Amino acid sequence: MNPPEEDKPPLAAGVYTPIGPRRRFFQWVTGAIFGVIGLGLAIPLTGYIISPALKRRSKPWVDVGSVDELVPGEPKQLAHVLPIQDGYIELRAVKSVWAVRQSKDEITVFSPICPHLGCGFRWDDGERKFKCPCHGSDYSVTGQVLAGPAPRPLDVLPNKVEHRRLFVMYKEFKAGLPKQVEL
Amino acid sequence: MSSLGSRLYAWLDRRLKLKRLQRTLLDEPIPGGASWIYVFGSATLFLFLLQGITGMFLAVYYAPTPDHAYDSIQFIENQVTFGAFVRGLHHWGASAMVVAIGLHMLQAFLYGAYKPPRELMWMVGVLLFLLTLTFAFTGYLLPWDQNAYWATQIGINMVGTIPIVGDFMVRVLRGGETLGALTISRFFAVHVLFLPALIVGGILLHLFILRRVGPAGPWSEQRAVQGSETFWPRQVYMDAVVMLAIFAVVATLAITVPFPLADKANPSDTTFVPVPEWYFLFYYQLLKYVHGPLAPLATWVLPAIVFLVLLLWPFLDRNPARHPAARPAALAAGAGFLAVVLILLGISLRDLYAVPRVDPAVAYGKAMYARLGCAGCHRIHGEGGAVCPDLSYVGDTRPDRTWHLQHFRDPQSVSPGSIMPKFPLNEQELNHLASYVLSLKRPT
Repeated sequence: MNPPEEDKPPLAAGVYTPIGPRRRFFQWVTGAIFGVIGLGLAIPLTGYIISPALKRRSKPWVDVGSVDELVPGEPKQLAHVLPIQDGYIELRAVKSVWAVRQSKDEITVFSPICPHLGCGFRWDDGERKFKCPCHGSDYSVTGQVLAGPAPRPLDVLPNKVEHRRLFVMYKEFKAGLPKQVEL
Repeated sequence: MSSLGSRLYAWLDRRLKLKRLQRTLLDEPIPGGASWIYVFGSATLFLFLLQGITGMFLAVYYAPTPDHAYDSIQFIENQVTFGAFVRGLHHWGASAMVVAIGLHMLQAFLYGAYKPPRELMWMVGVLLFLLTLTFAFTGYLLPWDQNAYWATQIGINMVGTIPIVGDFMVRVLRGGETLGALTISRFFAVHVLFLPALIVGGILLHLFILRRVGPAGPWSEQRAVQGSETFWPRQVYMDAVVMLAIFAVVATLAITVPFPLADKANPSDTTFVPVPEWYFLFYYQLLKYVHGPLAPLATWVLPAIVFLVLLLWPFLDRNPARHPAARPAALAAGAGFLAVVLILLGISLRDLYAVPRVDPAVAYGKAMYARLGCAGCHRIHGEGGAVCPDLSYVGDTRPDRTWHLQHFRDPQSVSPGSIMPKFPLNEQELNHLASYVLSLKRPT
């Protein structure tokens, strides 16, 4: 079998080049080194570029007010400042949630966003319902759908009470779905 | 090579005539054969590519404004996966590139490779070296820490000593009256857009000239006439081995030697004494010896002369011989210049590192600070919580050792209302921790 053409190029007079196993050794080592350097860069650089996509920010517990302000069965809108870490920039956003003391020990906190299409709803004290002004969805004080196009009950946010202060973990959910899907 | 690969190559070759191009690129004859002494040019090119790649990736997270530059670098260091590694590669790669260029120039000088017909290759090389130093100068400001800010301030002020045009040039460099937002954005643009375009053009020109005039080869005619060896595969193999060694060294430095930021740039803190990068240290040392009316001599006259002599060296050295033994004057001049640079560098390094000797108690105390979780509340140079007093310079603000010892034993006894808990520490531990906090001072 003839050796591959590139194994011994035709050269001008006075010019020499390694041939045979010696040539293949140089070719192989050169290829291997470029492979090692390439991988040594490609692996860290890939991790570097995709790292923000892999990290899911842990949501903070935010103090939204004193539990003593909550009267059983009376929803109260609580505004609070939510710190948002945007890369190396710290932003602050004002968010408000609906908190209801359902019984002596049980507090429910609703996301302020209607699960139908994302409007902000309000509490109607006369009708004793949460009413969404956009498309007429009504919800009971426990968040159940009473009327209108809403596909699911109001979204409940995690909450805890420490030293008589109410803490909430603010989250947002996809609107318009029968199932609750966190954004 | 698989048959699919060779068939694809053959298909492309029929259209693009690749084989002819491959011959031209790889079968370049090297007079006297491949040699380990010829690797420095390829090593420099490799480091330039490494700087280019790591620089592109750093720019993914970096923000060139005084508000965010420092925080974005902190973010790369602490939050981004492999961020500290990529920044370390770029930092140490810059130093390695200066070393590689230095060795490359030394080799070209020693071998008389700048002599006719290669004068233009040498001159373009000197310009490439100047561009590399400009890269170093503009890149140094970008982290916007105290070192970056004050070192750049000094560098710009030196330009101001040039008569007539100095003041104007300073304003152009700063983009205004003060070193600030306009300065960092123009330094960033120059560092990542203008200079890369210029240096790539310069490198191509350097290589174009190399291929037109051919490599110089050995200084001895007898060896040169023995024949030439093709560039591929043995010279490429040697270049690759050196590249791997360089990559290993730079990567090891990037992993093992942290390159922490100083405090965020504070234009009102005039007590900060910046230290330039090591490759500017010899010059920094020179400036210490030249005062008063002679200062402009060191700040711009001498650098301008050195640059012009380097650039025009092929025309100043008219001796046609290439063998070092036949060029005593040129070699003496080169060795003298190198000796001055190295001696100044040596004195500067000795002055910098001779003074502060770290007390082992400080290191133990620092470890305790980490172990006890002090950083949960206290902050040192931007690291740690902001609940309790910032300890960055507590050694200056509260230099009293007995106060600290008493404070660690019972915080509330000397600082009523303090929320600091009592830590159960023995006498030795108390002393170590006190030594550590007392060491937290402004650099002198």
